[in-house]
Amino acid sequence: MAATTEKLSSIRPLVSEPSTGGIHEDRLIKRVFLTPAVTILLLMSIFPLLWSLGISFTNIEQGSRQIVTQNFLGLGFDVTLRNYERLLTDQRLFDVARNTLFYVIAGVTVQYTVGFGIALLLNQDFPGRTVFRVIFLLPMMMTPVATAYAGRMMFDSTFSPLAQLIRTIGSLFGEPRLTASWLTQASWAPWTIVLIDSWQWIPFMTLLLLAGLQAIPEEIYEAARVDGATPWSIFWHITFPIMLPISITAILIRSLEIFKIIDIIRITTGGGPGTATESLVMYVFNQALTFGNYSYAAAISYVLLVMVVVFSTVFLAIGRRANKRVNG
Amino acid sequence: MKKRGVIGTIALYTVLIFWAFIVLFPFYWMFTTSFKRPLDVNRIPRYIPFVDFQPITDHWQFLLVTQQEQTVRQFRNSVIAASFSSMVVVVLGSMAGYGLSRFKYYWGRLGWRNDNIAFWIISQRFLPPAVLVIPFLMIYGFLRLVDTHFGLILAYTAFNIPFAVWIMRDFFDSLPIDLEESARVDGATRTQAFLRIVIPLSTPGFVTVALFSFVFAWNEYLFALMLTNFNAITMPVYIAGQQSTRGTEWWYISALALISVAPVMLIGLFFQRYITRGLTTGALRA
Repeated sequence: MAATTEKLSSIRPLVSEPSTGGIHEDRLIKRVFLTPAVTILLLMSIFPLLWSLGISFTNIEQGSRQIVTQNFLGLGFDVTLRNYERLLTDQRLFDVARNTLFYVIAGVTVQYTVGFGIALLLNQDFPGRTVFRVIFLLPMMMTPVATAYAGRMMFDSTFSPLAQLIRTIGSLFGEPRLTASWLTQASWAPWTIVLIDSWQWIPFMTLLLLAGLQAIPEEIYEAARVDGATPWSIFWHITFPIMLPISITAILIRSLEIFKIIDIIRITTGGGPGTATESLVMYVFNQALTFGNYSYAAAISYVLLVMVVVFSTVFLAIGRRANKRVNG
Repeated sequence: MKKRGVIGTIALYTVLIFWAFIVLFPFYWMFTTSFKRPLDVNRIPRYIPFVDFQPITDHWQFLLVTQQEQTVRQFRNSVIAASFSSMVVVVLGSMAGYGLSRFKYYWGRLGWRNDNIAFWIISQRFLPPAVLVIPFLMIYGFLRLVDTHFGLILAYTAFNIPFAVWIMRDFFDSLPIDLEESARVDGATRTQAFLRIVIPLSTPGFVTVALFSFVFAWNEYLFALMLTNFNAITMPVYIAGQQSTRGTEWWYISALALISVAPVMLIGLFFQRYITRGLTTGALRA
């Protein structure tokens, strides 16, 4: 990491001095290189983003193609604050936002701790290390939809191995009908979803943190050991502070990804029981496709956007402060 | 590293094997489920083929022979959407990445220089796609792009460009500029230097970007769900739709899931170091 930055600064000064070729050629080529990507982003990302904000101030209710085409992209509709008034009193929105925050916080906590633990193990020297590293990476490759189905099979309350385990334990205590409804009980289902998401994404944390661990020079540890430091204090006073910046980035990336969660929930619980597991993205989807209420869906999606921006700003501020305190 | 005792080694392997079990068991379960008779799935768990259940190949036969047309169509849709979008992403992303690495930009109106532009581009990567989905539905409806391959390719291209620019900029930053300079001293134009020197040297970067874009597009669910309904349906949407038809047919779902996982898994195993590289440039630089 540091090496790249150093190399970077040594390259940069050369960049501005074209050795041959006129200024005109360079100015044109310069544009040719950057413009296509920027144009696509403006058209496919910035424009829809603003349009979405516009839609949230209209009353577009139906998703049928005729209506959309007649009033091109919603231009024919009245401007109203109705959706935003509704947001303020929407209990379901409140629940769904809380669920989403729960997924982010619980998910990131589980994934970071377990991921870090596994990264520490893989950073040791032992025979078979490469094999374990490859195996541990596998869940990340699974299509999330498939992961969700696998999760449902694992946590089914009758035919899954886990259910059988529970029954066996139950019969030991004279309760052969003991069951656990991991996905159908409101108090457990969100946790089960966190577990399924974690199974898939712990490898991501492991991979990032392992790369960070491998960049720490061995001499630092050796010096600490010569001074008689215990493994525990080595971890807290050396490894953890060095790893803090990477940890902050990894946690932020995962959080932003979990904010988008829909596939796992839609397949495992469908948002239920009630709205106990529904996420914001799923609510957007339901408003748009189930109820055909495009404008309200757009307003909800802006709630999500605001949450994401506030979350990352606060998180980065806390992260920076923590980093300053720990690393000076 | 410090020497471990016998107990330490045993503990290490115990934890590793335990975790490997957690990781591998769902894969094993899906694999065996795709060979189980419905009765062996829906009552109590059956673990080992030939021991507590008799494996059958009917489900695979159904998907690959009887329903071949349908299975192949969804698979092909996924291949088309993922491979075309990642090709475009590689081209456009590395052009922009090269530009941001080698030229100086200044967007006067915003006061933005290279770093601001790069940050703006990568910030698009973290925008929740749900914010874009309603306008996409409307614009695609208007342009008649709903349920077309082109529509999906376009959307996935847009989603993957930020990441590609980020990776490629980093890649070109680490590529010594002297090679291009000397080619240009020998009389090559900037374009020639780019085509003959830079591109051949950049293959690892291209591979990383292509892999990531492919996997992202392959696994994407929300937009595929919203923007397709029959012709252009991709594997994830197809698999997800399996539960509504005739109850949950776990054996077909498992088989389809394995079919959809296979390409990504092969890619991952063959190109593991590129994946590590892609993830770490994204994160370690920021």
